[in-house]
Amino acid sequence: MNAVKLNEIEAASPSVVYTAGRDFAAALAETAQFKAFEQAHEALSQDVTAQQTLAVYRNKVDSLSVLLKLNAASEAERAELEQLRQDYLTRASVQAYAAAQAELTSLCQEAAGKISAAIGLNYAASCGTSCCG
Amino acid sequence: MPKFDNLPPELDKATDGLIQNLLASEPFQAYQKARVQYKSDQQAHALIGRLSTLQTELRRQQTNGRVAEADIKELGTVQAEVQSNSTLLSYSTTQQAAANFLREVNQDISQLLGVDFASLAKQSNCC
Repeated sequence: MNAVKLNEIEAASPSVVYTAGRDFAAALAETAQFKAFEQAHEALSQDVTAQQTLAVYRNKVDSLSVLLKLNAASEAERAELEQLRQDYLTRASVQAYAAAQAELTSLCQEAAGKISAAIGLNYAASCGTSCCG
Repeated sequence: MPKFDNLPPELDKATDGLIQNLLASEPFQAYQKARVQYKSDQQAHALIGRLSTLQTELRRQQTNGRVAEADIKELGTVQAEVQSNSTLLSYSTTQQAAANFLREVNQDISQLLGVDFASLAKQSNCC
């Protein structure tokens, strides 16, 4: 009888685990949620008005950053900032992207939750994305 | 035990495949072994409990502005005991190795997807 323990024979090599990971990625990429997310991402990146609005909003936030930190921005400045934010958030492409991302996030949380429960490690936290930021 | 039955069949199957292979990998086999040992080691649990109680007590004392020298000394002793406890050491080391391996697998998955899977899987309301 060979002295090698059964566990040692059966241990999956890293390459086998990577292959299983790639199969998992391929299956996730084939889901309706992932495809919708990719489509929404593409549509958002093609929405020039949304990108311009976002750029203007970010520039405005940068220019007011000190005043905002000191809570010293004027009412008009705050209103302008809020308007820009709303202009961006109410774009159809932005709303579609947010909805698609929420659907995909929910699916990924379900899959990661199943993995975490089985392996005894929190998947997201172990991969350096702590839920506490 | 939570149920995870909302996954599309193909993804569910692939998730099971990934789980089986992760569990069969060397880092996870070592981690599971250390985990079982830790669960049954009452001395290790008592040490962790003592450390936790002492840390809580010292935080309370710090808030009140008076820290007992004896408690600081005991904390140092318990910390040294924890760091030299073979069960805890093995549990901690193997857990870290398993997490490192998982991170590598996640990087591979994320590269294929073009988006970080772990970030998407992060629970936004867990804190």
